[in-house]
Amino acid sequence: MTLVLAWNNVRTNRTGLAASFVAVLLAVTLVGGNGLVVAGASTRDELHDIIGLLVLSALVSGFVSVFVVAGMLSMHVLRQRRTWALLRSVGMTPRQVRRLITVEALVVGVLASAAGCALAVPYAALMAALMRMAGLAPGGIPVEVTAVPFVLASVVGVAVTLPAARLAARKAVRVGPLEVLRESAAQRRLLPWPRAVAGVVALAGGVVLLWLVPELTPKDAVPTGLGATMALCVGASALGPVAMRLLGLLLGAVAAVLDPGAGMLAGSSVVTQPRRAMSAASPVMLTVALACTFMFAVATSDAAEGVTRSGPAAWAAPLLVGSAVVYTVISVLNATAMTMDERSEEIRLLRTVGTGPGQLVRMVCWETLIVTTAGALLGTGIAAASLAALGKALTGEAWFAYSLPQYAGLVVVCAVSGLAGGLVSTRGARRGALLADSQG
Amino acid sequence: MDDHAVLLEGVTRTYGKGATEVAALRQVSVGFRRGSFTAVMGPSGSGKSTLLQCASGLDRPDAGAVRVAGRDITRFGEKELATLRRDQVGVIFQAFNLVPSLTAWQNVILPSRLAGRRPDPARVRELLNRVGLAGREGHRPAQLSGGQQQRVAIARALLGRPEVLFADEPTGALDRGTGHEVLALLREAVDAFGQTVVMVTHDPEAAARADSVLFLTDGRIVDVLYRPSAEQIGARLGGRR
Repeated sequence: MTLVLAWNNVRTNRTGLAASFVAVLLAVTLVGGNGLVVAGASTRDELHDIIGLLVLSALVSGFVSVFVVAGMLSMHVLRQRRTWALLRSVGMTPRQVRRLITVEALVVGVLASAAGCALAVPYAALMAALMRMAGLAPGGIPVEVTAVPFVLASVVGVAVTLPAARLAARKAVRVGPLEVLRESAAQRRLLPWPRAVAGVVALAGGVVLLWLVPELTPKDAVPTGLGATMALCVGASALGPVAMRLLGLLLGAVAAVLDPGAGMLAGSSVVTQPRRAMSAASPVMLTVALACTFMFAVATSDAAEGVTRSGPAAWAAPLLVGSAVVYTVISVLNATAMTMDERSEEIRLLRTVGTGPGQLVRMVCWETLIVTTAGALLGTGIAAASLAALGKALTGEAWFAYSLPQYAGLVVVCAVSGLAGGLVSTRGARRGALLADSQG
Repeated sequence: MDDHAVLLEGVTRTYGKGATEVAALRQVSVGFRRGSFTAVMGPSGSGKSTLLQCASGLDRPDAGAVRVAGRDITRFGEKELATLRRDQVGVIFQAFNLVPSLTAWQNVILPSRLAGRRPDPARVRELLNRVGLAGREGHRPAQLSGGQQQRVAIARALLGRPEVLFADEPTGALDRGTGHEVLALLREAVDAFGQTVVMVTHDPEAAARADSVLFLTDGRIVDVLYRPSAEQIGARLGGRR
């Protein structure tokens, strides 16, 4: 019975499922592939200098993977609250609903991990080739297929997928069946206290690390600075809805002035649903914060040592975090698509009161831009704090090197992928038949 | 120009294809006069909702013409339809009529804002008072009862002074008392503002508030009653069953 239900559920929730599957698959590819590269590099003595950097970028990828997969899974489970409530109202126990969710997550986790492991090998070979071209490893990195990276990646895949789904399931089931059916989009509490506590603890941890960084030797400062960025990201993501509401008010007001109809709709949607907005803004924040910290930390330490890199070598650091960036950019697209996908009903309603096709497109664009801008602002703030601390450790001053084109490129890529996700996922609701097959 | 707000000419709408083909409307021709209140009744599957959807431009008929203020809307593109919906045609459904992220006030002025107009705040306030929502302008739909939500939807439809207001089971999700209040508002819109109203319903008591009642069966108009009582309507429906 549970299996039949799970299968039907899978069939009716293709978008969410595909997004979760892709998230896990890419996470496993990333972690497995980076593991293979690190394992290969550690066999060569001449690569001793860059191994630290490789490990660091692998850690960034791992962190990003866990963060994105957990977010995606909980989004996937929570957006089906109506289904869970319906199942409960026809007599399913909370336990059975939780089991249903677990089975689904397990199937996704295992299948996506298997596929991810298969893709990890060509990915590792590609990364090794790119690093040789960039001059990071002139002699090449031997990629051999060993068991450990795969085991590690699969464990990450399943070990993150399952608890994330179960945690979301517990939250989804705790809401009474009627409560969900009644609320159409009424926001639950903005910040439940466990989330607030976790956020404050993570922020405090990040601040402590920031404060430690200037006291450390340059060798330890970089990893610690990255750790601070990660901790601050976790904290900001947990406390994000509050920040999102403020930023939504501010940016929404700007949009409403520039475009009264569509801008007002976009702004008020962010302000009334800051949690939904934050789940799409989180990956943007993560991308900007981590990529900037990593790339500009390397640039700053080069500057401190008087090293100037040019040609392909200048792109060594961006290359190392490149795949993590690609991954978060995909998850920006995914998350935007998922948050917009659940708005079909609302979009059809807007059409029945006379919102024109162009206005709908502008509304989706404004909302996506507000969300990505808010994410980028938070990410920039976090990166700037970590980099300033790092600069103090490396040069004695709260200064850091940065590249405006690289930064702007990063933000633009995030915004574009958000726009693509938002527009594609609302296409059906914006243009299709106004009525779902109703007749009477 | 004739005095019809909406005129349907030989409207046919078919769902599905081949063996599963169902004709929801067959060659329906009917006019709704300005300032009239018409109820549309019929058993489920008779095509009454399809009639409303085609007449309001929500659905496109397979054949025939639908004239709103003299213009055939079946030839309209998405953009023209959008303009039609915010200026000339108001639609109220059984539920979920309001944008959840907007307040009652913002929901009411939404069509004007979309048209790039700034509605007179005094008139918005007066309308909200008239539908009994004074003091609730800043509430979001989730903070309003079902009846209050329907009243916001009516206020929104009336603000634009549309050519015609369509209502699909507007009291279907409400209790009797609240339903009566919503019907009284629709009646008042006809009597006080000369608003044209077309309402689909299965409730004889609701239909008895209308000036005339159309009966549909199998996609055809089979009868019209003028100023009938609820009992007459019930008897007419009972006779068909």
